[in-house]
Amino acid sequence: MYPGPLRNLIDEFARLPGIGPKNAARLAFFLLRTPRDEAERLSSAIREMKERTTFCPICCSVAEGGQLCPICADDRRDPSVICVVQDPRDLMVVERSGSFAGRYHVLHGGLSPLEGIGPEQLKIAELEARVQDGVVTEVILCTNPNVEGDTTALYLSRLLRPKVAKVTKIAAGVPVGGDLEYADEMTLGRALEGRRDLEA
Amino acid sequence: MGITRLELVNYRIFERGLLEPDPHGTTVLVGLNGTGKTSVLEAIGYLATARSFRGATREHLIRQGIEDAYLHATVERHDRPSTVNAQISRMAPARMTVNHQPVRTRRDLADVLAVTTFAPEDINVVRGGPAGRRDVLDDALVLLEPTAGGLLETVDRVLRQRNALLKQAKGRLTPEITSTLDVWDERLQAAGTSLITLRETLVDDLQDEVQRAYAALAGAPVRDERATMDYERSFSGDLGTALLANRDDDARRIRTGVGPHRDDLRLEINHRDARTEASQGEQRCLALALRLAIHQRVTARLGTPPVLLLDDVFSELDPDRSRRLVNELPEGQTVITSAVPLPSNVTSATVVAIEDIGGGRHGSLRSI
Repeated sequence: MYPGPLRNLIDEFARLPGIGPKNAARLAFFLLRTPRDEAERLSSAIREMKERTTFCPICCSVAEGGQLCPICADDRRDPSVICVVQDPRDLMVVERSGSFAGRYHVLHGGLSPLEGIGPEQLKIAELEARVQDGVVTEVILCTNPNVEGDTTALYLSRLLRPKVAKVTKIAAGVPVGGDLEYADEMTLGRALEGRRDLEA
Repeated sequence: MGITRLELVNYRIFERGLLEPDPHGTTVLVGLNGTGKTSVLEAIGYLATARSFRGATREHLIRQGIEDAYLHATVERHDRPSTVNAQISRMAPARMTVNHQPVRTRRDLADVLAVTTFAPEDINVVRGGPAGRRDVLDDALVLLEPTAGGLLETVDRVLRQRNALLKQAKGRLTPEITSTLDVWDERLQAAGTSLITLRETLVDDLQDEVQRAYAALAGAPVRDERATMDYERSFSGDLGTALLANRDDDARRIRTGVGPHRDDLRLEINHRDARTEASQGEQRCLALALRLAIHQRVTARLGTPPVLLLDDVFSELDPDRSRRLVNELPEGQTVITSAVPLPSNVTSATVVAIEDIGGGRHGSLRSI
């Protein structure tokens, strides 16, 4: 058996998602052989992340030190359109596409009673508050294309329709630059349902 | 389609087994009980469906004291060979490949290797509970309808989420619970209604062939021995309305009382409920007729007949019914296990003995 402190570290690593006991031991032994200052960079990175990362008071995405997130702080972003995502990582993905100039709202999950997640566990009240003053004219639901994500979108659309002029959901379909033959039946089926007129 | 070569490695009692059946004809596996005849059919079925038709879990399929079992088959279709491989592990899900590429869906697998299985337990489709009958329809739909696999997954997932929500509600339908239940119900209505429509269409499509095949197996004109099927919904009217009407009851019992998962397929012989009022022989014939009818539709969809697997069916049928089943067998490759002599009208077949080496631990197959 390993000495106590090493064992503790292995146990902590093993609790992380995607890390099994063998990988946990590998990481711990890597750090054991690493110079002290390098290993301490990791521990201070974790400590600072926990101390200084906060949630943006407007969009609930990640921010620093109680401030607005960079997007909510940016005046050039269109305040009339809100893109709703399940996770800050989804926000980054949409942002990387460069196709969206509005604001975001992060739910921090999707409806899933199996995991004990209902509307109260998500940042839905915060979203409702944001659409009260009539500035927001469109909410784009950008949830994951699975049972939970689709159901969350349906719930939000019912909730928001009386309050917002336009509630839309992103299209599901075939990856750009790929071949149709590589799309699975479900994806292609949804792409066909979501087809649209070609403008002349 | 037909299997030309089947290799078993550390599978059940086989350390290594090899079978080279006739891809267009009938192969009969003979041997004493417990020597692994059914296991060989099960292996073929596993390669086609990624599961055991005996309902065995992975660990039962792996030889004792070994970590992984391997199944390899070469399948010929329109004279072109493909390979289908399965790696069955104790700890991880089975890995299936077709021509060394990972398989995504059962449909992809069926395009290379599909099977129709007749086993003694099939009688439970007629005699047992509704779940077995729904499974027969759903398994057929997965092969026949591109959208069925996704619909089945969605219905299953939405039902589990809905039931979890009912559990949280602890019998009290607060406004918060109700508003979330509304959206789960809407999802269940959409996917459930589509699934039910697919099932009902399939039942309609199978009706005539089931009647014909049943009469042929029973040895009587269709007008004397009428087998009929009727899809019975667990609700009347619209599924969404029914879910709403049952909501209080569902909340009390923490389950979803109406929907595709509660429907049944009513089977009748001459207007009598086949489940309770038919003889064993009639029930067996009806189960076979249903399988034969599905086999025919899958053949049309694939453009080639699936491999027929007949597990010990002749010991359960009387000699007349056995002979009539042989007459009804469609073209294509057939693999039969039998502990009794074959019906007299089986004219040409390759007989393969399962040799027993070392007390059943090291079986091997040998063509004769």
